[in-house]
Amino acid sequence: MPMNLRETFAYMVSRWTDELVVTSAGHSSGTWWDLTHERDRVFYLTASMSLSSMFASGIAVGNPDIKVWAMSGDGAFVMNPGMLFVERQMNLPNLTHFLVSNKCYGSTEEVDIPFSEHADYTKMAHGSGIERVYSFDKLEDFKDQFDEAVMAEGHSFVVLNVEKVGKEIRTATMDGPEVKFRFGRYVEERTGEAIFNVLP
Amino acid sequence: MTSGRREVSDIIVNQLAESGISLIASLPDDWVADLIKVVEVDNRFKHVPVYREESAIGLCSGTYFSKTYSAAVMGASGMLTCIYAITKINYTYEIPMFFLVSMRGAIGDTAKYQISNGIYFFDVLNTIGLPYKVLESREQLSEIPRVHRHSRVYNRPSAVILSRELLNGET
Repeated sequence: MPMNLRETFAYMVSRWTDELVVTSAGHSSGTWWDLTHERDRVFYLTASMSLSSMFASGIAVGNPDIKVWAMSGDGAFVMNPGMLFVERQMNLPNLTHFLVSNKCYGSTEEVDIPFSEHADYTKMAHGSGIERVYSFDKLEDFKDQFDEAVMAEGHSFVVLNVEKVGKEIRTATMDGPEVKFRFGRYVEERTGEAIFNVLP
Repeated sequence: MTSGRREVSDIIVNQLAESGISLIASLPDDWVADLIKVVEVDNRFKHVPVYREESAIGLCSGTYFSKTYSAAVMGASGMLTCIYAITKINYTYEIPMFFLVSMRGAIGDTAKYQISNGIYFFDVLNTIGLPYKVLESREQLSEIPRVHRHSRVYNRPSAVILSRELLNGET
């Protein structure tokens, strides 16, 4: 029985301390926003069609002292599974990639992903050479192993098997430049490194 | 690798280093393959090969939120596959990034399968308002830092487009 997305994210939020978060299209952006209304520590990357973990990898490689949580949906993942090979090559110790698997395109009326019942994302991750791969169907198991799967040092790939949501959840009420500046100002303050108005 | 190609690749990587660029994402096209080999062994750069050009857009855009400057190396055909990623990430959020792209499909390209890319390549860049410089000789490679810097002023991507003759070390 898959987990409830809101309950799963609510638990993650309860464990969230100073990690930067990059959300993906649809339910991950909407649910995270709905639970937190956080405007600074989250980059709401909507509708990137598979690029959220790559975007998060860029943040993580440039900020090695900050942990980054990347979320992607399985609809995005199947568009670009080669992301796993890039993640494996980079092997960023400060990156955790959460694959939110609801076997549908959550941002487009929850249309089913064809053949998703045959897809085993953990095997794909193992096959790409990623060592720390986890998959959860029960919230209690996720809670029990959260420290090992998420909080421990090292790149990890965590599949969260969740139910469909069944309704639209609106994401953050910010336009793109506001997301950029809020997030970037937070990183500037945290690292002491200027991001904006600096020319090479 | 011919000595001419090696010399041009060396000039390019020196210009990239002078621009402060320290991370390079790439997916090879024939004409930039030698350049990528030079990047791979140059310890001034962290080289990240990607498996779709769009992944380079995600990765390089993410580095913007750090002191790491990055560049994406690919062919014109690869860049054409990135239009949605560019407009979605770089235009929606106004995030700069920098491209080095081979000018496939232009006069002089003997690969018929590249011609269709060349027909519309510059029209596409012009249509989305992506500023670029075409570089056709070694002397022009000193433009690289300026074009890179422009992406930071413009808050969107910029590109240098490298001709076949230049990448072959002929000009």
